Amino acid sequence: MKILVLIPAYNEESTIGEVIRDVRTLGFDILVVDDGSNDKTAELAKNNGAVVLSHQINRGQGAAISTGIAYAQNKNYEIMVFFDADGQMKAAEIKNLLQPILSAGYEAVLGSRFLGRAENIPLAKLLTLKLALLFTKFTTDLKLTDSHNGFQAWKLSTLAKINLTQDRQAYASELLEEIAANKIKYQEVPVTIAYTVYSRRKGQSVFNAFNILWDLIIKR
Amino acid sequence: MLIQIILIVAIILIILRLIYKLRGRDIGLGQFSIWLIIWLMAILVIWYPKITSYLATKVGIGRGVDLVIYISIIVVFYLMFRLLLRIEKIERHITGLVREMALKNNNQENEE
Repeated sequence: MKILVLIPAYNEESTIGEVIRDVRTLGFDILVVDDGSNDKTAELAKNNGAVVLSHQINRGQGAAISTGIAYAQNKNYEIMVFFDADGQMKAAEIKNLLQPILSAGYEAVLGSRFLGRAENIPLAKLLTLKLALLFTKFTTDLKLTDSHNGFQAWKLSTLAKINLTQDRQAYASELLEEIAANKIKYQEVPVTIAYTVYSRRKGQSVFNAFNILWDLIIKR
Repeated sequence: MLIQIILIVAIILIILRLIYKLRGRDIGLGQFSIWLIIWLMAILVIWYPKITSYLATKVGIGRGVDLVIYISIIVVFYLMFRLLLRIEKIERHITGLVREMALKNNNQENEE
């Protein structure tokens, strides 16, 4: 099956090159959606052999992912892997995410850092994620071990059924709601998320959880 | 009272601007009428404040000023809600445009 690794990136010039090189050693096609970066993210991504789509202005991770999905549909890809640009994820684990789709007929595979490993996870982050898990249980009744992990693999035919409306981080909750609503056949697999000083600085601040809740509850 | 004259002059200026906007086709006749009615009512209330006291006792509120404040707050909240919805819609459209541009630029690069 035709596989595309999607890496949304916003000002990730210090990590994007290495992340792309890691993924490329596995032989996958790579699409970087540069979400209005004002550094060299797009240039570095291109030089390292990724296809680059550039948002002229920053629209958020959810918007970048939707752009990636639109591209993949146009180019007839069959599977899409969501991968982070900040170096938190291990490219070698992409194979583990693909396996349930390729050989067991699953439609979506969700990485779980709590089945796997969450290296150096800050306490506040851990607590926020556990709360998010409760929120997911409450709103979707999905029994997950990790709810807001960006490391996922999807069949594009399944993504085509989903209409993502959230531009920012709340898209992650929206994906889970769609899994529940459409009874999408999913599986969780263990992954490693390594929190580094850089990824902690770049990543979601714990306070952003409130923004996400606002997006989910008020704005729909 | 002086305050009455100041407020009414201010409102007349706002109404003039409204007419100007209508003539420039910045707003439709429907929207113009709604705003005109609101501002004319405001002039009426400013010139005869007793009206509000009369209405207030009718609906069971002590003072006329209170009634005006209650109604104003409701109107402001409603307008805010509408603005919020409008902004959401604009944001969605912007994202759509940004996406279209990104996809189109990529296609053009491939053709060159």
